[in-house]
Amino acid sequence: MEPMLTTIGLTKNFGGLTAVNNVNFSIYPGDAQSIIGPNGAGKSTFFKLISGEIKPSRGKIMFNGKDITKLPQTKVSHRGIAVAYQITNIFPLLTVFENVRVAAQSRKTTFNFWSKAESHSEISDQALHILEEIGLIQFRHDIAANLSHGDQKRLEIGIALATKPELLLLDEPTAGLSPTETRQTIELIKNISEHLTIILVEHKMTVVMEVSDKITVLHYGSLLAQGSPEDIRNNEEVRRVYLGGVKM
Amino acid sequence: MAELQSQAAHAATTPAVMSPWDKVVNLVSRYPVAFMTLFFILFPFVVPYQALATQIIIWGLFALGYNVCLGYTGMLSFGHAAYFGVGSYTLGIVLIRLWENVWFGLACATFMGGITALVLGYLCIKRRGIYFALLTLAFAQLLYFVAFQWVNLTGGDNGLRNIPAVPLALPGFSVDIHDPLRFYFFVLFFVVLALLLLQRILQSPFGRVLEAVRENDPRARSCGYETSNVRWLAFIVSGAISGLAGGLYALYLHFVGIESLYWVTSGQILMITLLGGMGSFIGPFIGAGVFLFLEDVLSAITVNWMIFLGTVFILCVLFFPDGIWGTFVKLIGRKSALKR
Ligand SMILES: Nc1ncnc2c1ncn2[C@@H]1O[C@H](COP(=O)(O)OP(=O)(O)OP(=O)(O)O)[C@@H](O)[C@H]1O
Ligand SMILES: [Mg+2]
Repeated sequence: MEPMLTTIGLTKNFGGLTAVNNVNFSIYPGDAQSIIGPNGAGKSTFFKLISGEIKPSRGKIMFNGKDITKLPQTKVSHRGIAVAYQITNIFPLLTVFENVRVAAQSRKTTFNFWSKAESHSEISDQALHILEEIGLIQFRHDIAANLSHGDQKRLEIGIALATKPELLLLDEPTAGLSPTETRQTIELIKNISEHLTIILVEHKMTVVMEVSDKITVLHYGSLLAQGSPEDIRNNEEVRRVYLGGVKM
Repeated sequence: MAELQSQAAHAATTPAVMSPWDKVVNLVSRYPVAFMTLFFILFPFVVPYQALATQIIIWGLFALGYNVCLGYTGMLSFGHAAYFGVGSYTLGIVLIRLWENVWFGLACATFMGGITALVLGYLCIKRRGIYFALLTLAFAQLLYFVAFQWVNLTGGDNGLRNIPAVPLALPGFSVDIHDPLRFYFFVLFFVVLALLLLQRILQSPFGRVLEAVRENDPRARSCGYETSNVRWLAFIVSGAISGLAGGLYALYLHFVGIESLYWVTSGQILMITLLGGMGSFIGPFIGAGVFLFLEDVLSAITVNWMIFLGTVFILCVLFFPDGIWGTFVKLIGRKSALKR
């Protein structure tokens, strides 16, 4: 089987700082992988490179056998890669329903001026379906900005899901969540990973260990280790630079 | 699912028990265009003189077009004088030189407003925020100086004079529209047309993308929307409506002043929109009404009326950032229902 996504020597310099350094990474269809690493390791930057939001200084990104390195962000989105951002990135004054509906609409139509937006029932149905999946259906009429932090984090995932991705990049989806909310989000991610390929960035090791088939460790932008949760847990170097202070 | 969906479609929730006041508010929010049409039909009979009513709906129409940029897409343009002025000059030049037909003149004004926005928009739209505002201002001033210099075509400093008062050609007969009340209803026809058109656009999938772009442009882009194209198109629609308003204004005055292209006009339309409240249909017209009424009253008292109007504006922005209509809507606590 071919990998779904492969990065070859992926590098990003910000002036003198190398945020992502010569990273080779690949993920197969249906897998759920995690990327861990200390703050500033370059995890979010790695996601921004894959999603086309920023362009690499060097290296190549292959998705479904095609080179997408130079593709603009909007095109990458249409190829089937979506991001749920670390810093909540929703449409604050739209309703919860409209947040997801407008994201779902992106797969169908933009320059349609004459029909009513809600008359496109397959789009609305998809949005409602996603709202049920992420557990926000009862808040669908509320203004998104009024949701709690935890609910906004899940709406963030909902927006990403609505663009019908093949590959979903989740950037710290449980950051700042209570234990109960974290539990809900873990269940959500497990559900999603049944039908989608996922790359997860997380600091909470419980989440990482429970969800991922394979873990990649980044340190100062470089790949430090890669392997099964078991391997990573027992890796001396990883323990030294990262896991030392973290409960496993 | 079907039940959920019909609920979602009618996001305006209806309380179980409604007072008569609530019923009125509910009706107005459901059918803003019908309500406004009704109101505007009565409007010329309640203002001090009919010409004021005409001015108010023309500037209201201009503000409505401006609002497509500011209120619905979140683009602060400081150069909308360009599209209004181009509309005015186009109508004047067409009527004087090409064809004495009002319909054709207004169609050309709308078209040229849109084309100007298409060209200038292309050059401005990649920038955001203050850079966008400054670019739009710079291009509008450029047009002002072109009109100033091109005396043969525009009359330069003296303005474009003697726009003929041609009757309105209708199939089979023609009507003299230069009686104030008839002209008012002629303008109202275009206002209602623009309102209907905009309502349709704003409720369409494209209208929803506009709102998404206003709320969070980077996120809209990450959802796969080419947001600069979306903003460009909104800018063109806005320019076309502004051009139509400019054409109507020239028809009303039989004259185009060079100041129609001046930055003061751009500032005025921004003021009117903020005063009334952005992001609604009614706000721009309320803004135009308050602005022109105050101008009318204050300028009769003092030559320094701009100082007073400026003060009112500053107080309004400081204490009622949602504008008159926005504040009113918030007060009755139905912001989401009345938004459109
Ligand atoms: N646009 C930018 N310009 C300059 N430096 C940047 C930029 N974006 C990120 N960086 C730097 O690149 C490094 C990697 O940042 P990144 O956000 O990818 O880290 P991260 O692994 O996601 O960290 P965290 O766990 O805190 O989210 C950091 O040192 C950051 O300061
Ligand atoms: Mg990060």
